[in-house]
Amino acid sequence: MAPHWPSILRNLALWVAALLLALGVERALALPEICTQCPGSVQNLSKVALYCKQTSELMLHARCCLNQKGTILGLDLQNCSLKDPGPNFPQAHTAVIIDLQANPLKDDLANTFRGFTQLQTLVLPQDVTCPGGINAWNNITSYIDNQICQGQKNLCSSTGDPEMCPENGSCAPDGPGLLQCVCADGFHGYKCARQGSFSPLMFFGILGSTTLSISVLLWGTQRRKAKTS
Amino acid sequence: MAWPNIFQRGTLLSRFSHHHVVVFLLTFFSYSLLHASRKTFSNVKVSISEQWTPSAFNTSVELPVEIWSSNHLFPSAEEATLFLGTLDTIFLFSYAVGLFISGIIGDRLNLRWVLSFGMCSSALVVFVFGTVTEWLHFYNKWLYCCLWIVNGLLQSTGWPCVVAVMGNWFGKAGRGVVFGLWSACASVGNILGACLASSVLQYGYEYAFLVTASVQFAGGIIIFFGLLVSPEEIGLSGIEAEENLEEDSHRPLINGTENEDDYEPNYSIQEDSTITQVKAISFSQACCLPGVIPYSLAYACLKLVNYSFFFWLPFYLSNNFRWKEAEADKLSIWYDVGGIIGGTLQGFISDILQKRAPVLALSLLLAIGSLIGYSRSPDDKSINALLMTVTGFFIGGPSNMISSAISADLGRQELIQGSSEALATVTGIVDGTGSIGAAVGQYLVSLIQDKLGWMWVFYFFILMTSCTILFISPLIVREILYLVRRRQAHILSE
Repeated sequence: MAPHWPSILRNLALWVAALLLALGVERALALPEICTQCPGSVQNLSKVALYCKQTSELMLHARCCLNQKGTILGLDLQNCSLKDPGPNFPQAHTAVIIDLQANPLKDDLANTFRGFTQLQTLVLPQDVTCPGGINAWNNITSYIDNQICQGQKNLCSSTGDPEMCPENGSCAPDGPGLLQCVCADGFHGYKCARQGSFSPLMFFGILGSTTLSISVLLWGTQRRKAKTS
Repeated sequence: MAWPNIFQRGTLLSRFSHHHVVVFLLTFFSYSLLHASRKTFSNVKVSISEQWTPSAFNTSVELPVEIWSSNHLFPSAEEATLFLGTLDTIFLFSYAVGLFISGIIGDRLNLRWVLSFGMCSSALVVFVFGTVTEWLHFYNKWLYCCLWIVNGLLQSTGWPCVVAVMGNWFGKAGRGVVFGLWSACASVGNILGACLASSVLQYGYEYAFLVTASVQFAGGIIIFFGLLVSPEEIGLSGIEAEENLEEDSHRPLINGTENEDDYEPNYSIQEDSTITQVKAISFSQACCLPGVIPYSLAYACLKLVNYSFFFWLPFYLSNNFRWKEAEADKLSIWYDVGGIIGGTLQGFISDILQKRAPVLALSLLLAIGSLIGYSRSPDDKSINALLMTVTGFFIGGPSNMISSAISADLGRQELIQGSSEALATVTGIVDGTGSIGAAVGQYLVSLIQDKLGWMWVFYFFILMTSCTILFISPLIVREILYLVRRRQAHILSE
């Protein structure tokens, strides 16, 4: 019986996938897990709630502030007993404002915020330093029960080292205090080695018509009278 | 001195119809395109090894894996380069083996079909090798090796077929100079390949392969619709018939079996040839034809030297004189230029003499001198380019002559007149032996250079050039004796 298990599992997985897809189609605005992993909703007076109410297009759902496309712009996880932000945290990489105060967080958030390039306001417990350190932020304010990191800095321009990235690469911010090498303008592909795009239509058009005309010309002048052997 | 009829009876050009011109151009460009796709491979080597390896760049900045280091076919660019060198060697060996086979096939099937099939199928293999694998992101060493072996076999259909077609159309009277000009096709192919590759390389190396493969495929189609493999196909008289009418010129330039004392035309052989038996000769028969084995062995040594110059010259220049790679690449074209001029001029002289071996011998003796001169070239680009042209003249020239004009002479000598279907087989044997020499040489040169230094590479070249002279020395002696006798006979008759 054992060899049949994988196929049964695969079938099951397919069913689950189909079910999820159906649900997804039904409710286009399914909330990301990060918004519901902590019970309750955003408190009325929190910074995230204030941010969300500034614009009428934004809506509060559970712990998140979403825009009409369902993108997370704000995330309020205060008082959630988190030791670390958890595996679903990268779902919130589009957030502009995040509140993590009143959590027993370990002080090692350097790589947690990789990819959080939009983040402008981060509220942390008082004993946790801002990710990336003092240089990564415009303004760091400490209060009695929390700490606010404000205004992410772009370190690419400040480092001033043009040789930071391989050929055709260029530096881009990758979250607070983090940098990455992406392809420079106009370059794409593996190792950013490719530039522009080949136009097959033009090439094969010219080649095809040239081949056709030369073939017809040569057949007419050369091979037409040839004996078929 | 007896001048050949070409000079007595009007110019060479007036004897050629538009069919001759088209055949010359079609065969010229079909081989150029085959060579262009080989050149493409050597021009995109840097891009390919970049594609096969992860980035070795050291930085504190994060390098996202999917952009910079998702491919791990080889850990470093050095190992990728080594693998590309292995692919070169594999290609040369399978090309050499293929030459023996496709010569035999070419003589038995229609030359036009074999050439057209070879070009189109090798274009498809190159397309799979360079473009499909990249589009599918499927990188596998064994697949690359297999495809390159198949490509070598398919590419080898080209040379025996084009030489055979040229041999069918151009008689031995003007063969030396026509073939000398015509053998520029390899060099033109190199330049064509370099231009095609560099014009699309920025879009990705796969497009360099796509473009050269497509152009080669198109060439195969044009060959299929436009090439006349011999004058007989459109009811023109074949060149043997023409030449037999012309007094004196039926005498072969390479005469192994003929009795040299007998200066009168040998009518018995001519009468035999009127019975046309179009049956291809066997491989062993072709090997036993007079001159085939000496010239094959000589060509193995000479092609070794010639190809070593092809492959190693840019590297030698950038390594020895510390010149930039692009500049060294450009400078090494002068060797090709010397080879083209040498091949044409020496072919012309051998046409006048009606003997090729003495010209070869003289040129090879001077080649030894030019090799010594070149090995002592000063660090000056114009002097080096001049010496390079001279070396190309004396080494590339004879090499071009053996692989084209002499192969055609050997495959059309009067021993097999009538059964003209030996041309491709003989060309395949000569060029196949030569390619084996070239493949072995590739390895030996890198070994000698690594262990003993560049000076010993030049000594090795000198040794190989001497071996070339040694292998054809029986022919040289016989043909010089013939020339001396002819002169005496001429003087006596006046």
